[in-house]
Amino acid sequence: MKLEDKIFKWFDDRFKLKELLTPIIKHPAPEYAVTNPLYCLGGIAFLCFLILVGTGVFLAMYYKPTPLEAYKSVEHIMTAVPMGSLIRSLHHWAANTMIAAVMLHMMRIYFMGAYKKPRELNWVVGVTLLLITTTFGFSGYLLPWDQLAFWATKIGTGIAGSIPILGQYISLILVGGTDIGAETMTRFFAIHVMILPITIAILLLMHFAMVRIQGISGRL
Amino acid sequence: MSLIEIEKHEVEEERHEPVRIRGFPFFPHFLLREVVVMCLIAGSLILMASLYPAGLLKPADPFDTPTPIYPEWYFLYVFGFLKFWTWDIGPIEAKVIGVTLPMVLWYGLLFMVPFIDRNPSSDIRKRKFAVAMGVIALLGILYFTYYSIVYH
Ligand code: HEM
Repeated sequence: MKLEDKIFKWFDDRFKLKELLTPIIKHPAPEYAVTNPLYCLGGIAFLCFLILVGTGVFLAMYYKPTPLEAYKSVEHIMTAVPMGSLIRSLHHWAANTMIAAVMLHMMRIYFMGAYKKPRELNWVVGVTLLLITTTFGFSGYLLPWDQLAFWATKIGTGIAGSIPILGQYISLILVGGTDIGAETMTRFFAIHVMILPITIAILLLMHFAMVRIQGISGRL
Repeated sequence: MSLIEIEKHEVEEERHEPVRIRGFPFFPHFLLREVVVMCLIAGSLILMASLYPAGLLKPADPFDTPTPIYPEWYFLYVFGFLKFWTWDIGPIEAKVIGVTLPMVLWYGLLFMVPFIDRNPSSDIRKRKFAVAMGVIALLGILYFTYYSIVYH
């Protein structure tokens, strides 16, 4: 018996791995889903998400969420931290690619009619995922605290603030005062690294569980 | 009555069509393709990140408004629509409409898609209305994105 078989057997004896893994491993993927690259888009969005988590944790170790230090800490990441520039740029590119992939994924679902019975709720979860993904982008945009970050957020929160009824509350919750400042920054930071990641993780679990239970929808 | 009957038959026919789907086992076939695609994407991301690093402008200055200010590209269409819509409707200000339509109404409609589109067919030839709406929405988003850049 080879070593890896021995290790596998050790775990199998204790956790019934074979019983658990066989249905996953043998689960058939329809031929049209394996050969058509459009079915990759959801997976690509998920890969980007994983990259964002990895690079994001790295960035959070150097980033300081206060108006005085934020810009300097990002500058430090870009110039002094080993691989810092690459990691931050990767975070940037993965973020934009994720949004593009989610949009294209949604277009595939729409034009293939993959949201129809019994997948209605997975579409609803999906639209929420789109909202969360773009909110991720919006909240992350402010964090470097450069000119673009500040002014784009000023306009963005202004736009959100003029939604009837809800707007004033959204703007108050986001900005945390009358103008973009230290309050806004810590709020955006908390939203970007705590609230949204937890929410998206729960929704992704639901999304994948539903795909798994309902199977991939039929051909065009 | 007869119209309903006909529709029922169609639905039933579709359901009874023998569905023969050829499949591959998840492992290794499906996973292999997935791993190849993911390596390509990850590689491209690293390449783009090295060639075009994320930017950092001057530090934020609340007293110096730069021009032009662009939001992220995926919000440009909201921006564009806000610029485009200059008409008050009765007591409702143009600005409020310009914000509500591309955000609240648009997302509301998106959420409702499976409940608005009751057509059971997923054959693209039998979904002319849904496809037309999708194409119109897409062209609209592209147009307002373009508008926001050109009329900045
Ligand atoms: C964070 C964003 C998202 C991720 C990571 C994700 C991931 C996935 C994955 C991996 C699949 C399997 C099939 C495929 O890849 O095409 C899938 C299926 C699906 N997704 Fe998403 N998705 C996301 C957002 C969305 C959005 C925005 C929508 C629609 C509004 C959506 C609706 C659906 C539906 C209805 C299915 C089932 C499709 C079928 O059975 O053919 N998802 N998703």
